[in-house]
Formats: sequence, structure tokens, C-alpha cells
Amino acid sequence: MTGEDPGPLIRLFGVTGGRARPVGESFDLVAIVTTVDVPAEPVGLMPEHLDVLSSCRRPTPVADVAAHLRLPLNITRVLLSELRREGLVTIDRPRPVGKTIDERIYREVLHGIRGL
Amino acid sequence: MEYAASEPGTSPADTPAMAIKILVAGGFGVGKTTMVGTISEIRPLHTEELLSERGVGVDDLSGVESKITTTVALDFGRITIREGLWLYLFGTPGQDRFWFMWDELSVGALGAVVLADTRRLQDCFPAVDYFEQRGLPFVVAVNCFDGARRHDPAKIRRALGLDGVAPIVLCDVRRRESVKEVLTTLVTYSAGGAFQEAHAGV
Repeated sequence: MTGEDPGPLIRLFGVTGGRARPVGESFDLVAIVTTVDVPAEPVGLMPEHLDVLSSCRRPTPVADVAAHLRLPLNITRVLLSELRREGLVTIDRPRPVGKTIDERIYREVLHGIRGL
Repeated sequence: MEYAASEPGTSPADTPAMAIKILVAGGFGVGKTTMVGTISEIRPLHTEELLSERGVGVDDLSGVESKITTTVALDFGRITIREGLWLYLFGTPGQDRFWFMWDELSVGALGAVVLADTRRLQDCFPAVDYFEQRGLPFVVAVNCFDGARRHDPAKIRRALGLDGVAPIVLCDVRRRESVKEVLTTLVTYSAGGAFQEAHAGV
């Protein structure tokens, strides 16, 4: 190692402890992240982790978490996967479109767009 | 009388939160980001995906510098339908080498808008091909720029070699009402069977 600035990308991976791939099952860009209520304040977390826990008390899609943290998606995913591993957040499992968007949802979406 | 499902109180509180994706594709400079911005309730959010040369992540710090080569920006907008139901519009990266991101964006998506500029119609061919192959419902939205003459959708359909099913809509991506029409056309088209099965004649 030299004493030179390693550059922004290295610093980003520093946030994830060098990890570049999420741990565990993969999850979608708009999977819903929800903070799990735990009795005690978790220790050993980084500010980014705490930020996620705070903002995901209301269920929040992954893409919004990334935008909120101002971090690239795959870095955000690593952080989220770590929180999931520790049981601090839940992340929706991906579901096939036919099972999620039913007729009622289509109607709600149509009505919502027309009402904008 | 329409859309009874939207009446207040009919949304069960125990319905899990859900975010629905719509992709906005098309050639460079065709107005994708403008379209997202016109309809989004938030200023389009911007995030980035780090790319490695091999398109895969790396497991540790060693070699990061040599493998990570670029970032790809992803702009998206949001429409809140109700608490716990959101519509996300993703402007897909235009360059071919980012198609792996389309693969991920397409999974579970409601459908796609292929934005076309009649002066460079060929720019949207790859997107049309992609969604046809994937079987993802899409509409072609022809952005009518200032001074662009009105085009005949039938001619555009022929030029694109569309199978006659995917709707074609003329639009102005800067106008909210126009973007709403594009999106309602897509949602109606995508819903297709679901509507007919439950309510014949809708």
C-alpha cells in the first residue's frame, strides 16, 4: 500500500467492510424493507446502518433507501443484507408478477394515475 | 361509476406494502428522464450501480481498483397510489452494455414505455425487440417534439414491425396529461386479461 488516496470506490467498499455482494437471498430493486422492532439498541452498527433502520420504520422500497443514503445500489444492498442477517430488517421475497398485481391493484393504479 | 376498488375504506389494512415497476426505455436523448420528471411526485431520484468489467461483484478489496470501471446512473420517479402502494418509473440506461440491468428491472414489472423519436425511430428498435422477447407488455409512446409533424401511428407500427397488439400513443413528455394518457394506456393494456375475466365489457 502507498500513502496515496485510494479513491472514492475503495472508500465505498469500506462502508461494506470490503464486501461487494449481498449476503443471503437476493432481493429486488423495489423489494420492501421494514425495520424489525428490537428491544435494545443494536450495537456495532455504522451510521449508514442506523440511517436505514430509522428510515425503514415505515416500509420502504430498496431503491428509495439507496437514494436516501446517496449510495450506489449494490453498496446499499450489501448494507441491507447485513441488517437482514442480523434480524434487524425484513426484505420482501421476490414474487412473480401474476401473483402480486391482481385486478384490484390494476384498478387502483389506473384510478391513481387518472387522479394525478 | 368506475373502479369501485378505489373507494375509501376498501383497501384492506393488512394488504402488504407493494411497489410496482414501470420501465421507461428508448434511445439516448429521447426524453426518458423528462417523462419521469413530468409525472413523478418527487424530483426524480438518482442512484448509481457500480459496474465491474465482468459485470459481477468482487468479494474483497483486492482487485477492486482494476475491476470496477464505471458507474451507471439510474433515475427513477415515484407515484404514490395510496399508503403502501407505489408506482416506480425507472428510466433505463440506454447503452447496450447495461442490458443486464434491464433484466433485473424487468422482473415483476407491470410493463414498459418505449419512447420513440420519429426522427430517429431506429433508436428504439433494441427496446422493442427486448420487451417482445421477454414478453413484457409495452406501449410505444411517440414523443412529438416542437415542430415535429404529427405522425400516423399506422406508419410507425409498420416501421417498427410491431405485431399489431402493442398500443402506440402520440405524446408530449413535458405535458402531465399526456404522460398520464401513456401510463393509463400501458396499465390498461397490461391488465388486459385480468379486466376481461372479471368484468366483461370494461
